[in-house]
Amino acid sequence: MHRYRALAALIAGLFLMGVVFPSSVLAKAGRKSAPTIVLSVEDLKEVTRLRVSSETELVFSIKKSDGSLTVSFRALSGLKLERRPFYSQLIKSIDLAKSPEAYLLIVRMKTENFSYSYLTRKNPFELVVDFKIKEEEKVLPEALPSSDQEKPSTQYAEPRGEVSKETSNQNLTDKKSVKTIVIDPGHGGLEAGARGNFGALEKNITLGVAQKLKEEIERGLKYRVLLTRDSDVAVPLDRRAAIANNNKADVFISIHANGSRRANARGSETYFLSLNATDEEARRLAYFENNSGELENQVVDREFDDLKLILWDMAQSAYLKQSSQLAEFVQTELNELLNTKNRGIKQAPFKVLSGAACPAVLVEVAFITNSEEERLLQSGDFQRRVAEGIYQGLTKFLQLYEKP
Amino acid sequence: MNNRNKRLLLLVTLLVILIAVILVFFFGSRQEKIKHPSKAAGTVQTSKPVKEIQTKKITLFFLSDKDSLLHPEERKIPVSTLNDEARTLVEELIKGPRSNLISTIPENTRVRQVFVTADGTAYVDLTRGLLEANFYGSSGEMAVVYSIVDSLAFNFKRIRKVSLLVEGNEKETLGGHIDLSRPFLPDYSLVGR
Repeated sequence: MHRYRALAALIAGLFLMGVVFPSSVLAKAGRKSAPTIVLSVEDLKEVTRLRVSSETELVFSIKKSDGSLTVSFRALSGLKLERRPFYSQLIKSIDLAKSPEAYLLIVRMKTENFSYSYLTRKNPFELVVDFKIKEEEKVLPEALPSSDQEKPSTQYAEPRGEVSKETSNQNLTDKKSVKTIVIDPGHGGLEAGARGNFGALEKNITLGVAQKLKEEIERGLKYRVLLTRDSDVAVPLDRRAAIANNNKADVFISIHANGSRRANARGSETYFLSLNATDEEARRLAYFENNSGELENQVVDREFDDLKLILWDMAQSAYLKQSSQLAEFVQTELNELLNTKNRGIKQAPFKVLSGAACPAVLVEVAFITNSEEERLLQSGDFQRRVAEGIYQGLTKFLQLYEKP
Repeated sequence: MNNRNKRLLLLVTLLVILIAVILVFFFGSRQEKIKHPSKAAGTVQTSKPVKEIQTKKITLFFLSDKDSLLHPEERKIPVSTLNDEARTLVEELIKGPRSNLISTIPENTRVRQVFVTADGTAYVDLTRGLLEANFYGSSGEMAVVYSIVDSLAFNFKRIRKVSLLVEGNEKETLGGHIDLSRPFLPDYSLVGR
């Protein structure tokens, strides 16, 4: 009997404890274990102001590298970032990443030539960073003779992707006035892509169309054009987007020829990226878990491959709306020009698009597995018309954003 | 008289219960015996008890000649564990359609393993035959991926997403297009009626 009474008392006690320790205490403890930082970005007259606020006091340090600013927070108990969409003349993107000792808030800038100053407030914690374009840079574009700006440079990106120093230096001056288009001929080398019944290989057709598109764009004298490969060589998929990002591309267009088991499948399609959103955050963290050693070095090191930082990030997710517009423009032109059956714009999780940090589409010109279209795809005339169509669509898309 | 009647009734009731118990015992144990070997070997079709295998209806998605969408085809598979049923489903997909639909997965592909984790991710591990195809443009790859993903997710509530492996390893793509490094959620917009 006594035993039962003791048991009852114990249960009652436990119950009481639940009431006495109100849930708010527990919640507070939980919040303390992972503070959230809230960002706001504002373009002021002279400067672009970034405010980083948090309920908890944070210890941080700031490092500047070429095109970005990294604020590392020593947050032992974790850190969360509340994302809000923003637009700024100077700041391109802001991301939170994790290294073994710190959480890194990476602020990527639209120019490499910027300066910053900051101040902090306490209770509640707030870090205010002001970004400014360096004076010379501001003057430069106007001072440059116009001939220099209008002449698009015609060099190719090296297929192995080593970005040469000259390229990036040239970027600096070109960047403001001349847009860069990166064209990606799908497949190459041993990786031949889809095959037609009469032996046509996707890799050859994509290269043909891409080279004609390059000529077409250069004839317009308005944009700089780069190819991810200009011969029959293999280029890894992530390297293709990296070439675009390293050259600060404004548009990325991947050229492909389609294949299907349906022999009568035909027509052209333009794709943009679709995401499986659920796994984003998990994968981003996993990347840092696996590559934590490199990261801090990368951020500090001036030689580091800027791209790695952008790539795992699913950079393309920030450009989906523009990419869908670009797809729409390109597809409309292709429909009119080619008289091929319209298969519309579509979304799919393409590996080659996921890392591109600019509007990006993948054009499936026609079906190589359809005998009739296979013949078409091999003809130079058809390839030229396709290139023309894509160029028209691209121009319309770029005009949309050129308006002041 | 009354007493004897009561006793008789009791006796009969007991007898009925006993018979019922024996019947259930035999019936139950027999089913057990049939289910296990057929699951293990898959080819025990010599004796009549085949009829008693419990089956369930599943829906597979294949391509059609008419449009670029996936179309349903039903068939029956033996009831088993989730992993085994999912494996059977993928094997049926590889065998291809019985109607005039078009199969999606290359014929030389075999299933190595299918298992579903607690978080609802189905890992479908196939042999390298999966990579040998001349039709791997975007459409061809999409058809392979989503016939598997949509068929699995459509039939098994516990499967929320699907990850494709080749020879036990994660592969970047099948032929240079669709990203296999992330698990796929089903996309029923690719299914037509």
